[in-house]
Amino acid sequence: MVYTMSPSGIPSPEVYAKLLTVYLLQNDLNNAKYLWKRIPAASKTAHPELGNIWSIGQHLWTRNFVAVYPLLTQDWSDEIKPLMVALRDAIRQRIFRLIGQAYTSIEAEQFASYAGLQVDEAIQAVVAEGWDYDSTSKVILPKRPVPSKAPPIPSEHHISQLTDFVTFLEN
Amino acid sequence: MPEMTRPLKSTTGNYSKLCEDINKYLDVLKRNVANIDSVLETLDPQMHALGVLAVLNAKYSAPASAGIDFETLFSQTQLFFTTCNGEQVRFATDNYAYLAHFFTQALVQKKQPIRGISTLLAALAKIQLHPGQLTSIHADICQLCLLSKNMKPALPLLDTDITDISQESGHFDATSFLCYYYYGGMIYAAQKNWNRSAYFFEVAITTPSMAVSHIVLEAYKKYILVSLILHGKVPNLPKYTSPVVSRFIKPLSQSYHELSNACASNSPAEVRVILDKHTEQFTNDKNMGLAKQVLASLYRKNIQRLTKTFLTLSLADIARRVHLNSPEEAEQYVQNMIEDGEIYASISKKDGMVSFHDNPEKYDNPEILRKIDDQLRECMALDEKLRSMEQEISVNTQFVQKSTGGRGEEEDVAFGSK
Repeated sequence: MVYTMSPSGIPSPEVYAKLLTVYLLQNDLNNAKYLWKRIPAASKTAHPELGNIWSIGQHLWTRNFVAVYPLLTQDWSDEIKPLMVALRDAIRQRIFRLIGQAYTSIEAEQFASYAGLQVDEAIQAVVAEGWDYDSTSKVILPKRPVPSKAPPIPSEHHISQLTDFVTFLEN
Repeated sequence: MPEMTRPLKSTTGNYSKLCEDINKYLDVLKRNVANIDSVLETLDPQMHALGVLAVLNAKYSAPASAGIDFETLFSQTQLFFTTCNGEQVRFATDNYAYLAHFFTQALVQKKQPIRGISTLLAALAKIQLHPGQLTSIHADICQLCLLSKNMKPALPLLDTDITDISQESGHFDATSFLCYYYYGGMIYAAQKNWNRSAYFFEVAITTPSMAVSHIVLEAYKKYILVSLILHGKVPNLPKYTSPVVSRFIKPLSQSYHELSNACASNSPAEVRVILDKHTEQFTNDKNMGLAKQVLASLYRKNIQRLTKTFLTLSLADIARRVHLNSPEEAEQYVQNMIEDGEIYASISKKDGMVSFHDNPEKYDNPEILRKIDDQLRECMALDEKLRSMEQEISVNTQFVQKSTGGRGEEEDVAFGSK
């Protein structure tokens, strides 16, 4: 049972820090915001790392990715560090998906700042992704992400479903 | 004392008789609150659930002067709710609910609402006959979740549609019902699940009533704001809404109607004027946060509207048409909306143009089939539920008497013609 761990309703700052980071990792900013609001002020002052994590959350809230990257590489405690690495990867993946969906062409420089990379690194990364790069106009031409295909349902199963529906409609 | 512990300790099978006996002793218990802990020690929540329940309720209703230690009482309540005999407490659903209310009130007063959530969830699981049954503990849980800003634990409850209300020996109060839907609407609004939120507020507003209730009034105000965020306008309330709402509640929420009229003009400037004009009222109603989101959603609604008229548009044109300050701001909005799936479009930074597309979904993949499948199943379950409820009511004596105009002898005829 969870409450036996912290009967007072206030867990240790380490628990708060982890939970907050995991919310960010899930991109569940609503619940991250309410968690931040309910962390007691005493824990925040005793454990400044919490505030540092939340400043990332604030930039994610306004989708200001450019400001997030420098914050990610702070000197995190051992427990938070791997989560932050995962968060950076998750944000970068999200950027690739977003740019692929939203742009048919984008300046290499703008893309690099979104992805938190140097321009030449960014170009390498997009070429590896299969996107085109027009070096004369310095523009990246993203490709739309292909939606992953769900495995088809086996036909026997399909038939039994249809039987269910027909018997329902007949009645 | 010994003679009063006797009924508390009874373990014979007749629990409804036991409930009556215990209720007779409540005054004695309340008068002897000072040494009640010694009674509690002799009782076991598994064997004498009803006895423990009575003792705990007596402790909560004791005056502050009795000097009851809250921490002890807290852990006693927690122990009771997690270990009591579920079968026995079903005979005293009213007292069981009272204990949950006392517990909630105490924690709210102590400003430690988060401590009660898991205990009450356990309490609820014990007393509910099925997940679709509403109890008055639901509202308590939602209140604790809202106050502690920890909404997630309430979501599984709120996501389950209610089909039945626990009678709690005739003590289930309309307040619990209204509060559940009001708090639920607020929790969904906090999670930005606008659809569910509007539905919950609508249930609160359309509850049949003869008088104006504060809960309904506040729910109505929030319903307007949430509808504006969701649809950009306020839909007409269903016909079964009681006349009280249009006669008394609408005049009481004038500034909200002004906001809704301003939204109808699609002009962010006008909405801002209304927001400034009524800042005080919105702040007093604690609705300022929602009101501001109405403005933000208006920009998005306006961009969405552009996709219906144009195939391509430059970022500068978008900014001008929806009154944004710069093409960069427009780019940010369009980008966010694409990510959220609110529009289908692609930006070309080469020439600064945005092309709008149709929904790329071709409705030809297994994913869509699965969705249709799920919805069909939901409809089938709903149909079955309706059928069984219909059957239940058609064999209800009161209903039959009413519908046949009290002519008892014609009952059989009425059934025959069905």
